Amino acid sequence: MALLTPYSKIPELNTATLLLVENEEQFQCRLADAIVQREKDVNVNVRLARKLPLPVENGETRPRIDLVVFIVNLLSEQSFLVVENSLNHLSSDYFLGKVCFVVTSARCGAVSQERLLSVRKLAASHRCPVICAEHQTDDGVTMAATRLLTILKVSAGLSPMPTTALYMSTLTRCTVPSDLDED
Amino acid sequence: MDEQARSILQRIIKKTPSKRLETIIRSWNCLSEDQLHSLNYSQPKWLFLENLVSRCEENRVSLKDVTKLEMIYHIHNPNQGTWHACQLFQAEDDALSVHFTQFRESFIAHLEDVVQHVSVGMKKLEDGAIWVRIAWGDNFRKPNHLKPTYLVHYLQSSYVFIHNVTPKHRPFLYQALVLATRHVSIKECHLSSRSLTAMRDLLMKQYQQVFPTNQERTLKERNAPPSHPNIEREHAESSEGRHQMACEAFGCGVLPKLETAVYKLETRYRGNSNNTLNDGDELFRGVVKFSSKNILESLRHCVSTGMAEGPVTPLLSSITQKGRNYFVITDKVSGATASQTPAPKA
Repeated sequence: MALLTPYSKIPELNTATLLLVENEEQFQCRLADAIVQREKDVNVNVRLARKLPLPVENGETRPRIDLVVFIVNLLSEQSFLVVENSLNHLSSDYFLGKVCFVVTSARCGAVSQERLLSVRKLAASHRCPVICAEHQTDDGVTMAATRLLTILKVSAGLSPMPTTALYMSTLTRCTVPSDLDED
Repeated sequence: MDEQARSILQRIIKKTPSKRLETIIRSWNCLSEDQLHSLNYSQPKWLFLENLVSRCEENRVSLKDVTKLEMIYHIHNPNQGTWHACQLFQAEDDALSVHFTQFRESFIAHLEDVVQHVSVGMKKLEDGAIWVRIAWGDNFRKPNHLKPTYLVHYLQSSYVFIHNVTPKHRPFLYQALVLATRHVSIKECHLSSRSLTAMRDLLMKQYQQVFPTNQERTLKERNAPPSHPNIEREHAESSEGRHQMACEAFGCGVLPKLETAVYKLETRYRGNSNNTLNDGDELFRGVVKFSSKNILESLRHCVSTGMAEGPVTPLLSSITQKGRNYFVITDKVSGATASQTPAPKA
């Protein structure tokens, strides 16, 4: 089983690569469009995947991936299960600030709160940040794209400020409040 | 104008949106041009009805004419009420040469043979559909025009669509149909829907179908490449494969709008966890019903996005392939029953 590793390839100049993992393949396309159109200074590559592990055939052409984003649609149980399974195919180096979770449909009233909580627990146990995104409006998509780009630049080492991915991840990682933790 | 005609007229006016009243009444051809102009279609419905009735009385419009208006209303609104499909079998030699006049005469004659009081209205549309309206009576009562049966048939096709027929009149109707279309037998298709057009499209295969093919080219053409050179799909091939699979099962493009698919289970419970359900020879009866605004669209979406695992079970794909949406699943045929589909929420 091939693990995806962050440091096995040489980075390209002024380039950052983002991997969007979403089982439903709905939000990721719009998000990818928003991301590439928004960023003008840096060359941003976006790879779209349904789940990990990635197909071996693309291994040669795939650039070094600087940030893995897991998109969880709270309306679908399957979406969460796929993400949970995919995490096993990432090398542990990624969890030092190169993984991020995006949650959609969190605002929908029909969704049980347990599902959001289980995503947060999953993220907290892997020391990753969680972003809630609005996927129905264009503004929401743009907003999510901006936030992801900020994280991407840090994790790809393109940020002019002396911020490292590890430093940022300690600041932004998800922590589950203790009263929720007790349940 | 008698009470029955008046209440039919009232019902039609009530159901028709004000915007479309004029087109319907115009295509009725019972009022003169002056009378049509004198009507005010934006009036409240009850007032409009009074005016319409007085015009009709001037013209001595009969009950028969009012039923014609009702037919026009139904022809304009084919997607109301529940329609059932039936299929004719074993065409006789001259079945292909039956034409409208012959069908009409023979149908009415056969119906009048068995039911004394029956009133039949028939109309052939430009697309070849024959619309039949039947008001049933019996030996002692006049036809009840308030509960008519509607029937749509395309000559030389083997399908008949029926709306609102009672079990009592069903045999008479079937017999007259079989004789008038020169067939030997008729059977229910187990297909019902609110939308007549959807059923017609499904049964007569008037939607865009996809047939299994090994040509990759068609796939590549249909799936537009990502909008930006920096975006790349890791699972492009498998998603194309799934899309192709979904289209082969359910067709591509706009699909007929069926609302439900019902599976009646008459099988034994198979599972090892629960002993009370796992009760030997007893059948575990149940009904699985999928419902959606457009069930075929939903199923296709489930398969093509990978929410339901492929390959598509024959239980789902036979909705389009056999043109049915009601299935009874029994234990005897081992192949088709085993897979209880991992129910995708439609």
